[in-house]
Amino acid sequence: MDSLMPIMVILPIASALFLNLLHGKDRTIKILAIVTALVLPIIPLLTGYGSHYFGGYAPLSQNSAIAQGLPALITSTQLFVFHPSIVYVFGSAQKIMIFVLGIIAFFAIFTSLSETKKPSGVYTYLMFMGTAAVTAILLSDDIFNFYVFFEIAALAQIGIVIASNVKNNYETALKYIILGNIAGPLLLLGIALLLGVTGNVNITDIIYSIKNGYVNPQNPVLLMALALITFGWLYGSGLPPFHTIKSALYSKALPHGSALIQAITVFIMVALGVMILRIFSYLSFSKMAIIAISLLALVLSITMALVQTDFKRIIGYLALGELGYIGIGLGLGTTLGITAGLFQAVNEAIITAFLFIGFGTVLYKTRISDTRKLGGMMFVNPRVALLVLLAGLAMAGVPPLNAFQSKLMLIQASIQSGVPELGIIMILLSIVTFMTFMKAFYTIYMRPKPDELEIHDYKIPKATIISLVAFLIICLTLGLFPQIATNSLQTLASSLV
Amino acid sequence: MVISAQLFSFFTAGSLVIIGIFAALFLDNLIKKIIGLAFIGDGANLFIITMGYKPGGIVYIFLPNMTISNFAQNASYPLPFALVLTSIVIGASTLAVMLGLVIVLNKRHDSLSASKILGDESD
Repeated sequence: MDSLMPIMVILPIASALFLNLLHGKDRTIKILAIVTALVLPIIPLLTGYGSHYFGGYAPLSQNSAIAQGLPALITSTQLFVFHPSIVYVFGSAQKIMIFVLGIIAFFAIFTSLSETKKPSGVYTYLMFMGTAAVTAILLSDDIFNFYVFFEIAALAQIGIVIASNVKNNYETALKYIILGNIAGPLLLLGIALLLGVTGNVNITDIIYSIKNGYVNPQNPVLLMALALITFGWLYGSGLPPFHTIKSALYSKALPHGSALIQAITVFIMVALGVMILRIFSYLSFSKMAIIAISLLALVLSITMALVQTDFKRIIGYLALGELGYIGIGLGLGTTLGITAGLFQAVNEAIITAFLFIGFGTVLYKTRISDTRKLGGMMFVNPRVALLVLLAGLAMAGVPPLNAFQSKLMLIQASIQSGVPELGIIMILLSIVTFMTFMKAFYTIYMRPKPDELEIHDYKIPKATIISLVAFLIICLTLGLFPQIATNSLQTLASSLV
Repeated sequence: MVISAQLFSFFTAGSLVIIGIFAALFLDNLIKKIIGLAFIGDGANLFIITMGYKPGGIVYIFLPNMTISNFAQNASYPLPFALVLTSIVIGASTLAVMLGLVIVLNKRHDSLSASKILGDESD
């Protein structure tokens, strides 16, 4: 069944290209996009675990037909076990993450198509391309392939913002792409340095070279590579100092676009973070650096969220703050810590999508995202208000919703690792997250409606309500039965320790 | 002499990256900024190409009169060249998007000044 592995990437790319050609044919775009998006979360469930070698080029050690007759110069060296082609690796952790990404992509596309009268083939194309790029990033065991899809994901995010008709979206997109054109080549330089030292771009082979003494692990070039790759990680994940521009990017997209962009960001953060841990975990300060950056992200982003007046910026900053929890889990470096971090990533991607689409209904009814001009939305649609409230409670880590389980695991992991201080900081910041959310919720929904606020008669599409209910069901399911995700994520976590 | 050519190439790559970062961060004109960004990408590409260069090596094409050992010992490493080809395509794509954005923003603001165009935005 491993032939389905590349289909996870090929299908969204092929649909994206096809939908782009259909620009203007509204009905066809809607049907085709929804059907393809529906298939996205199903494929990882049907795919068997294992590796996929592009071109069929397995390592020589696994390919006796080619290995026969080769000189000892090749068969007696590490060349014999190296991977000559791009390799995709699909395990239980990839399965759950690609499944969740597929679910978010589906609901983002479903909501976007139902909220717009004239669906844009280009917009749908970008959503599919973003999904394909992150799927490839999650699957790839090749660091250069990783870089290629990292750039495609960045372009897709920028494209989604450009295609959203939001004030100042072009300016934000330009800022983001300028920073991306500094961070991207620096990430490439980091990869080049790794290639120069190890002669490889395959992550498994790089680790093999370092662990088996073919490369001096203390080589300063490797440290430089770590620094450059970390810079790329900060940019891709919207960690400080890129949290401001990333939050701006979220706020300049339409809510369904923001829901997908944040999922892209979360999974890029996880994939790059795991890659850094896999290659550089022998350097003890690499984990310390991840924790320090994550703590900074947590504090800065949540503090910034407190002072925002645009609800999209508030969610954006809160979402970026939640990335800090993921980073802390990864940085703790224990099986429990990494599992908790990965579980938090899965939960955060779902909850933030839930929040963006939920708050998006306010934008849909009022065309306003400034909380100072909003109020009384509770009486416009109490059911949606309740769903949004539950999404906020989920983000704050209130039981029995999913983030409660992951945050509890993170606190347990920090205590287990001998740093209970981290647990205390995480609890305090969860309270601040809750306060920030409740402040925004009160302002938008509960305080009296301002006289000048004009609420349109548009009925909130059923697709949006269905998406919100589906997200709530997922949050409750993962909150009540966390082992559904944690059992899958634990395999990857234990391999990193 | 050959080694010095490689060193010179590394030096040029480093210079391109530094000049590019300087231009991207400190120049106000958006077109100049973009040229700087292109420099950074080009520097990274040149760095990779230089790394794949093998002094006294041969092209990595297995010709009929070669032995496997001779080829394995002397052929230059093809991977960096393949990577750079892909990297150039990515660079061209992002460059096109950036220039497209600048064209639109220039029409909107009637200026190419980054401080005017990007500074106006209320983030």
